Amino acid sequence: MNAETAIPSPHDPPLLEVDGLAKHFTMSSGLLGRAKGVVKAVDGVSFTLERGETLALVGESGCGKSTTGRLILRLIEPSAGALRFAGQDMLALRKHELRSLRRRMQIIFQDPFASLNPRLSVSDILAEPLLLHGLATPAEIPAKVAELLKVVGLGPQHAERFPHEFSGGQRQRIGVARALATKPDLVVCDEPVSALDVSIQAQVVNLLQDLQARFGLSYLFIAHDLAVVKHIATRVAVMYLGRIVELADKTTLYGQPRHPYTQALLAAAPLPSPGLRRERPVLQGDVPSPLNPPSGCTFHPRCPHAQARCAAEQPLLRRLDDGAQVACHFAETIPAPPPIPLSPENPVIARRFAALGDAAA
Amino acid sequence: MADATLPAAPARRRRIASPMLRRILRDRLALAAAILLGLICIAAILAPWLAPFDPYNTTRRPFVPPRWSEGSLPQYWLGTDGQGRDMLSRLLYGTRLTLVMGLASVIVGGGIGALFGLLSAYYRRIDPYVMRFADILLSFPAILLGLALAAVVGPGLTAIVIALSIATIPDVARITRSAAIVVMGQDYMEAGRAVGLSDRTLIWRYLALNCLSSVFVFLTLRFGQIILIGAALSFLGLGVRPPEAELGMMASLGRDALFFAPHIAMLPSLMIVMIVLCANVLGDALRDLLDPRLRNT
Repeated sequence: MNAETAIPSPHDPPLLEVDGLAKHFTMSSGLLGRAKGVVKAVDGVSFTLERGETLALVGESGCGKSTTGRLILRLIEPSAGALRFAGQDMLALRKHELRSLRRRMQIIFQDPFASLNPRLSVSDILAEPLLLHGLATPAEIPAKVAELLKVVGLGPQHAERFPHEFSGGQRQRIGVARALATKPDLVVCDEPVSALDVSIQAQVVNLLQDLQARFGLSYLFIAHDLAVVKHIATRVAVMYLGRIVELADKTTLYGQPRHPYTQALLAAAPLPSPGLRRERPVLQGDVPSPLNPPSGCTFHPRCPHAQARCAAEQPLLRRLDDGAQVACHFAETIPAPPPIPLSPENPVIARRFAALGDAAA
Repeated sequence: MADATLPAAPARRRRIASPMLRRILRDRLALAAAILLGLICIAAILAPWLAPFDPYNTTRRPFVPPRWSEGSLPQYWLGTDGQGRDMLSRLLYGTRLTLVMGLASVIVGGGIGALFGLLSAYYRRIDPYVMRFADILLSFPAILLGLALAAVVGPGLTAIVIALSIATIPDVARITRSAAIVVMGQDYMEAGRAVGLSDRTLIWRYLALNCLSSVFVFLTLRFGQIILIGAALSFLGLGVRPPEAELGMMASLGRDALFFAPHIAMLPSLMIVMIVLCANVLGDALRDLLDPRLRNT
């Protein structure tokens, strides 16, 4: 199956280039549809995605991560910007050209209960992309479907069942199988695990990683769970109110977050160990309304380091010495967050863990 | 995998017919309705062979009561009407015409209405226009429409079917649209687009299939209403005209003799009630069957 995935050569254009991508929704009201305002759901997002890489897109709900994912697949038409897929200008494509390009880019949805057509059996769902893109003849469908199901850890006996007969984790596997059916190069994972139980999350994340290694997939991984992102991502882009505020390698971003927003996000992530607590610099206020975003740097009303310039001038995403890209006027001068001050471990819990370890040994 | 260890389920049959039959057999009420409606349909189709007399042939023996009441004649099972025509024969022919009228209107009106609803939910740009058009249709009462059509086409089955179809379009369009808009918001519509499916496939396999059940139930209910409106139109002399037999018209003709020969109005009315009732019960059962989520496995 992976024979078709090309070995990346240094001369190849990146798999995906996004330049100044924007989507503005016009809010209208009343009988005559007077324009009430413009929501800049995505406002000038630029990044590249290399083959075999996982770029995570993180941020609070409403920051435009999912819209960005859909814009890239042209499920929503962008208002501005440029999209190049393997060097090909996606926005210049005609309708039928776009449809054949869809073979190479797929999406996995957040809610496995809403993303499968309840009227179609699993076999029909998986056969659809295969037949549409001429990847199988009707006679080959049962074998191909069984193969796809096996790839995602389901059995051939599941083929004739309907989506409602499956659990959430199984449905998500079917969603993954559908995305893989066309052997895509790029898969947009739109919060693929956030609707699942924690134990199932791990299964699905590991499945995604295995498949990436096996088929050389590139992921655009949209998530808000920083622990999952740390596990799966190569690079991470942090979004705030429709813009990327920081984009860096995973290790750089987690080890040395530059943007105050990234610092606050990381500080807010829970620690996966009982008894451990950190002194959090709590972020003040709510995400501002995208209908009426703050002037200058949109983060300045909540930023602990904000200065007069921040309210006046919008910071652009710029590259720092170590390659990280940050949209902050004071990225160099903002102090690194103090090493997370951990409160001493709860002695009772520590004793119990020790006892558990002894029992296991 | 959670159920990788479970024994493999027996391969399910793809044919819809067999689980559907099994379900109907389990649902006693639906079974009774299906049998009754089936018998009525068969009787209506076989009317020319089953009917003991010519339904249009008048005799000198009017107002003969049915076999179970006093003063009946052995050859007239259900008695005769005011012109001495055999009630059983007229009932068979009348049922035939009524069913044809109802089915034709439901299929034509329901089909066009559902198509409008689906298209206006899928292509949101045309939605306001389609819906205002539906509002305009909605503002014409079916009876008025029938009047106008009868004037143009001339009274008869065609005029009735056209009038009833047009009267069905806006309601079905609205119901389909509201169901379809809910479906449009589901992720699987987007998933289908991401796969690269054409608009036509998306509309049929995704949108229509998922709106089908609510539209279907509405149409079975509508079927009853249509038969009643058709009867009213016939009563006004706009539809089927005497001596042609149509259940609604037969009921209205029997109105004058309601007190001394109640069977003339009662028998066709009972037939209408039975048809409408069976259609509704079956509609409910079919809705459950068409929805895989409600299908017992």
